[in-house]
Amino acid sequence: MISEPVDLDETIHQSTRLRIMTLLVSVAEGDRFAYGFVQQTLGLTGGNLTTHLRKLEEADYLVITKEFVDSKPRTWVQATSLGRRAFATYLSNLQEVLSFQPDR
Amino acid sequence: MQRSEETAALSTHESVQAIHTTVDRARSSMYVAGSATILLFWTAIASVGMGSQYAILELAPEFADRSPWVFGALWGGLMVPGMAGSAIIGSRASKKMALGDSANNAGKKVFLYWLAVVAAMFLIPAAVGMWNAEDGHKIPGVTLGIVFLGYILFGIMFRPALAVVGVGFVAAFYIPYSLLDDVAIPVSGGLMLAVAAVGAWWIGKSGDN
Repeated sequence: MISEPVDLDETIHQSTRLRIMTLLVSVAEGDRFAYGFVQQTLGLTGGNLTTHLRKLEEADYLVITKEFVDSKPRTWVQATSLGRRAFATYLSNLQEVLSFQPDR
Repeated sequence: MQRSEETAALSTHESVQAIHTTVDRARSSMYVAGSATILLFWTAIASVGMGSQYAILELAPEFADRSPWVFGALWGGLMVPGMAGSAIIGSRASKKMALGDSANNAGKKVFLYWLAVVAAMFLIPAAVGMWNAEDGHKIPGVTLGIVFLGYILFGIMFRPALAVVGVGFVAAFYIPYSLLDDVAIPVSGGLMLAVAAVGAWWIGKSGDN
C-alpha cells in the first residue's frame, strides 16, 4: 500500500511567514511581540514584514494591535488560537512528510 | 533567475532549519534585552569602583593597609545599585520588545543569573578565607573575575558578542594587573572603559539595545 504525504498549509509554508509564525508561537499564548522586535529578530525590511503579516492576518493566524506604551505608539503582533492550532498542524504534517517513505 | 519570495518552494529541510533558527534567535533576543545599556551602566559602576579604590590607595595608604577588606566592601556595596539598575534597564527594554509571561520569565531568569553571579562574588572569596587583613586586597581581582566569567558564560549561551566583551574585560583587567604596579588600576580602568564602549557600540550596531 502506498501512503501519500499530506499537504502543508500554504499560508505558513513560505520562508518568511514560517519564521514569523515560529517566532509568535514560541512564547506563551496571549504573549505578544513588538513589530520592531519581529523585524529585528528576523532581519526583515519593514515592507516585507508588513506584506507577510497582512497575509497571516487575513488568514486569522495573528492579530496586529496598536497602543501606547510610555506615551509612545507601539504596534504589537500576536498569534491567535487559530494560528497556533494551524502551526501545530503544520508541524505535525511536516513531521509526516519528513518520515514519508514511498513504497518501493 | 531568482525565484520570487512568494513562489519560492520551501523544502521540508529548509522548513525545519528555519524553525530551529527562529526559535534560537527569539530566545537569545529576549534574554539579552537592554544588554548594551546594561554594559555601559556596569562600566560606570566599575569606573566608580576602580576610581575609589585608586583614590583610597593614593590618598589613604595607611588606612588601606590597616583595612584591606574595605575594597571588598566597596565592590560589594556597588553591586546593590548595579543589580537594581540592571533590573530596571532590562525590564524597560524587554517591555519594548515583548509583553506577557514569556518576556517576564526571561527577565526573571536573567535577573536570577546575575544575582547568582553577585552571590558568588561574596561567597567564593569568603569560602576560601580571603576576607581578612592579609588577603583582602586580592578580593577585587577575584570578584571582577567572577563577573567577567558571568559575561563570558552568558554570551556563550545567548549572544557571542557578550562573550567577546567578557574576554576583552579579562585582558583589560588582568594584563595590567599582573604587569604593572602602581598604575595598574587606572590603566585597567581605562582599558575596561574602552572595551565596554566598543562592546556597547558593537552590540547596538548588531541590533540589540
